[in-house]
Amino acid sequence: MNALFRGASYGAVIITAILSTIAIGIWFERKFAGRMQSRLGPTIVGPVGLFQPLADVVKLLQKEDIVPRDADRSLFDLAPILATLFALGAAAVVPFSATAVTADLDIGVLWILAIGALMVIPTFMAGWASNNKFALLGGMRAVAQAVSYAVPLVLAVMVPVILSGTMQVSGIVQWQQQHHWVALWPVIPGLPAFVLFFLAMLAESNRIPFDIPEAESELVAGITTEYTGAKFTLFYMAEYVHTLVGSAVGASLFLGGWDGPFAPGLHWMVLKTLLLFAAVYWVRWSLLRFRSDQLMDLCWKWLTPIGVFLVLAAATWVQLMPGGR
Amino acid sequence: MTLSHCLLLASALFAVGVYGILTRRQIVAVLLSIELMANAANLVFVSFSRFRPSMSGSGAQGQIFALFSLALTVAEVAVGLAIVILVYRAHGDTRIDLASEMKS
Amino acid sequence: MTASVGFGFMAACTLVSAIFVVRSKNLIRAALWLGATLLLTAALYAMLDASFLAGVQVLLYVGGISTLLIFGVMMTRKHEGLVVEAETVNVPRGVFAAGALFGGVAAAIKMTPELDSGVRPPVVTANDLGRGLLIDHVLAFEVVSLLLLVAIIGAVVIARKRDPGAEVPGFVRRPLAAKASSAKPVANEVSP
Repeated sequence: MNALFRGASYGAVIITAILSTIAIGIWFERKFAGRMQSRLGPTIVGPVGLFQPLADVVKLLQKEDIVPRDADRSLFDLAPILATLFALGAAAVVPFSATAVTADLDIGVLWILAIGALMVIPTFMAGWASNNKFALLGGMRAVAQAVSYAVPLVLAVMVPVILSGTMQVSGIVQWQQQHHWVALWPVIPGLPAFVLFFLAMLAESNRIPFDIPEAESELVAGITTEYTGAKFTLFYMAEYVHTLVGSAVGASLFLGGWDGPFAPGLHWMVLKTLLLFAAVYWVRWSLLRFRSDQLMDLCWKWLTPIGVFLVLAAATWVQLMPGGR
Repeated sequence: MTLSHCLLLASALFAVGVYGILTRRQIVAVLLSIELMANAANLVFVSFSRFRPSMSGSGAQGQIFALFSLALTVAEVAVGLAIVILVYRAHGDTRIDLASEMKS
Repeated sequence: MTASVGFGFMAACTLVSAIFVVRSKNLIRAALWLGATLLLTAALYAMLDASFLAGVQVLLYVGGISTLLIFGVMMTRKHEGLVVEAETVNVPRGVFAAGALFGGVAAAIKMTPELDSGVRPPVVTANDLGRGLLIDHVLAFEVVSLLLLVAIIGAVVIARKRDPGAEVPGFVRRPLAAKASSAKPVANEVSP
């Protein structure tokens, strides 16, 4: 019971922190995008445009809640809620400091992968229940993309698991504290595995360059076409949360989590997560998007074989290292 | 939470799956019921591995068997859905009595 | 005590969810109820000290098979609109057969003495599972991987679209334009 309360309180704090970071992240994205495009970004609402996310959210929440006439009502309402739930779920096993874990599962990595796989269901539900051909097409493409990119994701995540010998995320972070960060030292499985994870994480959260299911010039708005007001806000939030939690997972598994050259602690974890989060935006505002078949090609013909090779390399490394690891 | 409770639950799920197979006319609905039955069987394996000590080996036999059963079920669903697609292409509908052309 | 209540609640939810799978008139809803049943079963596995299996169940069943089944439903219906009818026939026969099966098995369970030995074996870790798969049962492991490969290839070959004039499926060289269109992943088709 004690552990339950402790975990629940950490969890509440972590969820609040994630949602607040999203609010600042929206502002950061707009400013960053503006600077990359030689313009200023939001400047009017609040100092340096800091209250822009507040204005965005208020605007979205006060919009009329329109439901298409022949939409499947219960699925339509359930999809955004499930999307947010599952997006937040993976953060339960990520250690934000040496003690701040919501639920330190023995199979932490498997939990993250499983919750990522679960994200497919609300995506499909939204696409189907909208009774809209664009939404359905976007939903099918998003599901195909999510299911396909789960394979390189699993393979990339296997590399830190093999190197550290445990699936407990806090155990992997502790191993990295004692040895080297996975993305840095065993250069051959480590760095490509990190890049593979980053790409797979981008594809799982439908971020550019993999955002064909929700691209405006392609499918109106993909699965979120028929969603307005509060439900659209939930989807919008869920996408940001998914990206942020994916960055936190990447920071724990590949960049050493709360470890740092001096004074290891929460600040390093926050720094690394925000760095990855910013990298996602950097990629988003720099690159073009892949076409659907190019995306599938990339996954099955390149990333999956590379992932298999990396798992093999990690196993070989563990076998050849003196003293086991 | 005893072994007999788990087994009763598993047999109830299995019986629900049997009901589904007997009363549904769409092939995909029958596939869903088959999934329920396979799931119930896996539950039996896992409950035995939890409540009865294993005689030999690592003690994980029940769960390993359940893992294999899971993999087999995945393969079966994939092939089953391929067949569903073929039946749909041939007849335009997926009622289960349409796949009876070999009946004498 | 709380464990038993929690377990009983989960068990009841799973049973109700399973009944919705077989009684739902809408096939998509039935497939989603199956996803819920499998998710609840994963929770039951976690309660039965099989956490690795619970994770794998969610990853494979809910993330994979549910998706497959939903796609299967979506691609095999002839009319537009959201209603995917699934009628039920011969309900009394089904109830009798299911009831008889359950009654027989339940009687067998009740009649077996000393089923609940009260012994709690040591918790099976992922380590134990790995050892079991790769050391004790490695032959079965390899055979299952071969079987999965055969199933994947078989499913793709069976469900592939064929040109009307092809004699040997898969060995006809088609011109590039037709080849590109027939090599599209199935997910991009909405309805034939």
